[in-house]
Amino acid sequence: MRLKRRSAVWLAAVIVAVNGFFPAVWILLTSLKSETELMNQPITYLPQAPTLANYVQAFTEQPLPRFLWNSFVVASLSTLLCVLVSALAAYALTRLRVPKSQLIMTALLAVALFPLVSLMVPLFKLMRELSLLNTYLALILPYAVLSMPVCTLVLASFFQDIEPDLEAAAMVDGCSRLGALFRVIVPLSAPGVFTAAILAFVNAWDEFLLALTMLNRLSMRTLSVGITLYQGEYAFPWPLISAALIVAIVPISILIAVFQERVVGGLTAGGVKG
Amino acid sequence: MVSPTLRGKRLSERTLGYLMLAPAALLLLLIVVYPIADLVRNSFYDLHLAEPWRGEPFVAFDNYARAFADDRFWGSVLHTAVYVVVTVPGALLVGLGLALLANLPFRVKWPVRLGLLLPWALPLVFSGLIFRWFFEYRQGIVNDVLERLGIEPLAWLTDPNLARAAICIAIVWKSSSFMALMLLAGLQTIPRELYEAAEVDGATRWQKFVSITLPMLRPAIMVALIFRTITAIQTFDIPYAMTGGGPGDSTETLAMYIQKTTLDFLDFGYGSALATLMFILSFAATVGYLRYTRRSARRETA
Repeated sequence: MRLKRRSAVWLAAVIVAVNGFFPAVWILLTSLKSETELMNQPITYLPQAPTLANYVQAFTEQPLPRFLWNSFVVASLSTLLCVLVSALAAYALTRLRVPKSQLIMTALLAVALFPLVSLMVPLFKLMRELSLLNTYLALILPYAVLSMPVCTLVLASFFQDIEPDLEAAAMVDGCSRLGALFRVIVPLSAPGVFTAAILAFVNAWDEFLLALTMLNRLSMRTLSVGITLYQGEYAFPWPLISAALIVAIVPISILIAVFQERVVGGLTAGGVKG
Repeated sequence: MVSPTLRGKRLSERTLGYLMLAPAALLLLLIVVYPIADLVRNSFYDLHLAEPWRGEPFVAFDNYARAFADDRFWGSVLHTAVYVVVTVPGALLVGLGLALLANLPFRVKWPVRLGLLLPWALPLVFSGLIFRWFFEYRQGIVNDVLERLGIEPLAWLTDPNLARAAICIAIVWKSSSFMALMLLAGLQTIPRELYEAAEVDGATRWQKFVSITLPMLRPAIMVALIFRTITAIQTFDIPYAMTGGGPGDSTETLAMYIQKTTLDFLDFGYGSALATLMFILSFAATVGYLRYTRRSARRETA
């Protein structure tokens, strides 16, 4: 009976893990195969003669480091802006007596449900009029706004739990309100700030539609759009695309692997409390 | 001596609050409020960004009339509806299954947690590319498995119905993990005592699931469902990467048609009308969501 139960638990773990990991594993295997091996019928599962040639080609055929850099700049700067603005808003909504703070919070959360496609059309026109197309700012500003609702929610739930006495003590010691925010509240809710930052970063790193729209110069493309450029006009060089995909997936996978507990906590904060 | 400072402090607290909300409000005005207002305005004009010499004549509801007479628009709405109707319950069922499995007592937690997080963190467009590779006719693993089972390989990406099915499968895979994470959080809030009491009463596993787990999970299921619905209405990345809308326009969604109209054809007036319709659709879903949550919140406090 006990043995049966243990093996059922094992089976459950295997199912969930295989479901999540299989696509990544399959493209990893594909990225190590040569174009000729891919022609084999029936197809081979494990690479017969593993090669790194596809990775070399992935870096020479498109400016892959440039894509990585663009994604990194856009994601980190939008995360910084988003966390800063959200922290100020969350502080005002939870620790200052602002009238109708509940209503303001609801309005902010409603923004998260706006269809991005509808926003994309006028945003393209706006960025065109401001001559911001093909600049990082054209993505940094919208990305910061898109993650603002979830970041404010996460930060507010952390700010709420801090003892008011601690802040009062800091202000008695001569800190201003803002000083207390950045010297007491933010350090004490470091896990919350971290969670919010990771969520904003992943959102920005993954976004496709706006990136496709706002930056169309090759040297400005972000990773999510850049990867689609490997497809030829008629044929799909799958080993090459797979190699590029692996390079693109590794940074974000490491990030979520290291901070998995925080990410899960942040993701579910909205669902459980909202 | 006390009262003036106190009054001054309370006044400045409110002012400071508004000052701290100001950056968020300004960003929202620039990136959401103004663009949405501009969008609705543009939908009443004939606006071609690439041909400024044509001017911007006011055409009232012509763009909307054009949409209602446009077969490609209705087609894209139909395909979007198919994706919503199939993937919302599909992702819920798969997500619920994954959540129930992931809720078992594991000694090592990271493989399961990461197994749920990886599909969420993978960009949608990458998932689309990977599933396109899975469904490739000659070299894809799906047809390989079918052949090993003695089934004829299927033309997944070139037959309209199969292409839509393949897209649905990819969407369900991609979105069920996030759903599972939300449901898992809900599962973990259910008090163990409820199950223990039911066991004392001799309840079977199925009875416990139907009369404890499902009712207690209802709020989490509702949030996950509505969230998924609103995201499904905007489906873009996965069909874009898997089929590009083809064969023909048979897998094109409303979001893809809007993107093509505005960016490939630069027909901004018409694109704005389509985007406004999408906005209304999404808004209706949001209002439904807010009304539901408010109603259930009232029921809980009552």
